[in-house]
Amino acid sequence: MNIQDNYQKNKKNIFFSENKDIQTHRKKLINIFENDGFNKKNNESLKNINLKNFIDFKYRYLISEETSVINNNQENSYSIVSVNGQCSSFKDDKIEITKILDEDYNDFSKNNTIENNDHFVNLNSLFLNSGFKIVIKKNNNIKIKISNIITDDNLTIFQKNNYICEEGSSLNLIEEYENKNNSTSNILNVIKLEKNSQLNHFLIQDNSPNHNLIITSHSSCKKDSTYTQKVYNFSEGYVRNFHYSELIEANSEADLQGIFFLKDNNTSNNKTFVKHLAEDCKSNQVYKGILNDRSKATYFSNTYVDQVAQKTEGYQLSKGILLSDNASYFSKPELKIYADDVKCSHGSTIGPIDENAIFYLRSRGMSKIAATKILISSFINEELSSIDNAQMSEIIQKKLVRYLSKIK
Amino acid sequence: MFLEIKDLSVKIENKNILKSLNLNINKGEVHAIMGPNGSGKSTLANVLAGKEDYEILNGRINFKDNDLFDLNIEERAQEGMFLAFQYPVEIPGVNITPFLHSAINSKRKRMNEEEIDNLSFAKLLKSKASDLGINIDMLKRSVNTGFSGGEKKRYEILQMSILNPDLAILDETDSGLDIDALKIVTDGVNKLKTKDNSFLIITHYQKLLDYIKPDYVHVMVNGSIVKSGGSEIAAEIEKDGFQKFQ
Repeated sequence: MNIQDNYQKNKKNIFFSENKDIQTHRKKLINIFENDGFNKKNNESLKNINLKNFIDFKYRYLISEETSVINNNQENSYSIVSVNGQCSSFKDDKIEITKILDEDYNDFSKNNTIENNDHFVNLNSLFLNSGFKIVIKKNNNIKIKISNIITDDNLTIFQKNNYICEEGSSLNLIEEYENKNNSTSNILNVIKLEKNSQLNHFLIQDNSPNHNLIITSHSSCKKDSTYTQKVYNFSEGYVRNFHYSELIEANSEADLQGIFFLKDNNTSNNKTFVKHLAEDCKSNQVYKGILNDRSKATYFSNTYVDQVAQKTEGYQLSKGILLSDNASYFSKPELKIYADDVKCSHGSTIGPIDENAIFYLRSRGMSKIAATKILISSFINEELSSIDNAQMSEIIQKKLVRYLSKIK
Repeated sequence: MFLEIKDLSVKIENKNILKSLNLNINKGEVHAIMGPNGSGKSTLANVLAGKEDYEILNGRINFKDNDLFDLNIEERAQEGMFLAFQYPVEIPGVNITPFLHSAINSKRKRMNEEEIDNLSFAKLLKSKASDLGINIDMLKRSVNTGFSGGEKKRYEILQMSILNPDLAILDETDSGLDIDALKIVTDGVNKLKTKDNSFLIITHYQKLLDYIKPDYVHVMVNGSIVKSGGSEIAAEIEKDGFQKFQ
């Protein structure tokens, strides 16, 4: 794929291509691609990814205007059907939904310090063709469920969403990605938590084999705010989950968790990165994977503790079960600590299912397959039992049962 | 014959462990196997339960008119064999109660018996736990997770009493138990004894056999049974050790 030609050819379908500032930024991005190509060396964003899927993909940038649906079901509860990365505008006294604006783009591109080297975030900025902005107004407690629908084959969605939780607000956000089209979604969620706000963010990913999902988030937390993210990846297509969080003011927290369930020849690349930039902040990064058949996964976790970030608590954990000799899981935890009064840890355990536990359960009369399934469920029991949303819990359980039913 | 082990030779990782071992157990009998460390006692228990790490070189085992080698691990359990583990495995996240409920029902299903419902099972479990001095709160926990050594052994006996096996193999159930726990565990075993079931008790020490009276005691050395007799052999071992049998 020649990025320059592609961009010039499709410019009219790409957001903000008339904006001078944005043009300048995009020229810089094009130069990065021209100079670097898609050089996999020393670039985590490209590791273990089948670039052919993205280079040979028949890109279609023009998105027809489909109408999204926003329902205010009950008080403080909204359901949104976002069609091809777009959402119509909506406003009441608690939330405001608008299209993404030039200023949102500029705000992110100027302040983005983590993802400079992430080619898929750069592609998102360059070919942006969809997105929306949701503001949760001060001191409101809101629930939102977003179903992300793609209507056509060969569509390429480059979507940037902004979520802003104003001071004292609380948002419970469930995002569902269940697409069956032969299409690609490259989504960047930019999340801002103002003072004393809270966001519980669930992402359920369950796409068919021919849908590629590249999802990146960048959250920043101000004083006393908490961002919790839980990713459940049941997709049969490629998924990249890269999630970055910055704790920019004191006493803020980021909890980035994920579970992926892989089979066949599927691949999932995962990364979490938390930057501690203020004192008394906490972070937690926990990813667990179950890999069957010839599936592959990577997980990079990073904690960066700035010298001002005293009294930091930062934990990382990666665990994987390999159900087949042909499955592989590469995990790389990293810590960079420049403060001296911190509690940080990291751990990684990957291996086949515990044969002694299987023998124990079978010796009580349980079949091998039932014992395997019960041990897989127990492996993620802590994460599943901590879901305090009944609807979510039910959805995840159903998908887990479906995954387990394919284990032979 | 209830259990018949004939000329059994077994190896693991190129090391011969059991060598032409013979043992017969009739219905209603309690047999004890005593032997020094490394004599192959636990290997025998594991081979009977069906652990797949071992290579059977020779011999056969019949259990209740079945060729044992035709049955996999769970089929042996469903046929009424039970191994109380020397080191019960901790399985975090697997709750004791549904696990045991599913275990008992898998056995009933094989026996063409009606499955036991939740309420009846809860009652049964509560009553058996109470007999063994097991706190009801413990039944809300994960299998063996965070249990003390004594709790693990007591929990093994609880499982045994729920599953009510035809042949129970107790692999060093006395190890790691203080005298009070030993009494509770052995009381549990004695309560289960009937004329229709049999026990194979593996131990180093005579102490356990003060509480569970065996009909036969066998001395196992270097993979074979070298002497069989009554309780007097246990007393002999207690006095003189295993040296003279080697």
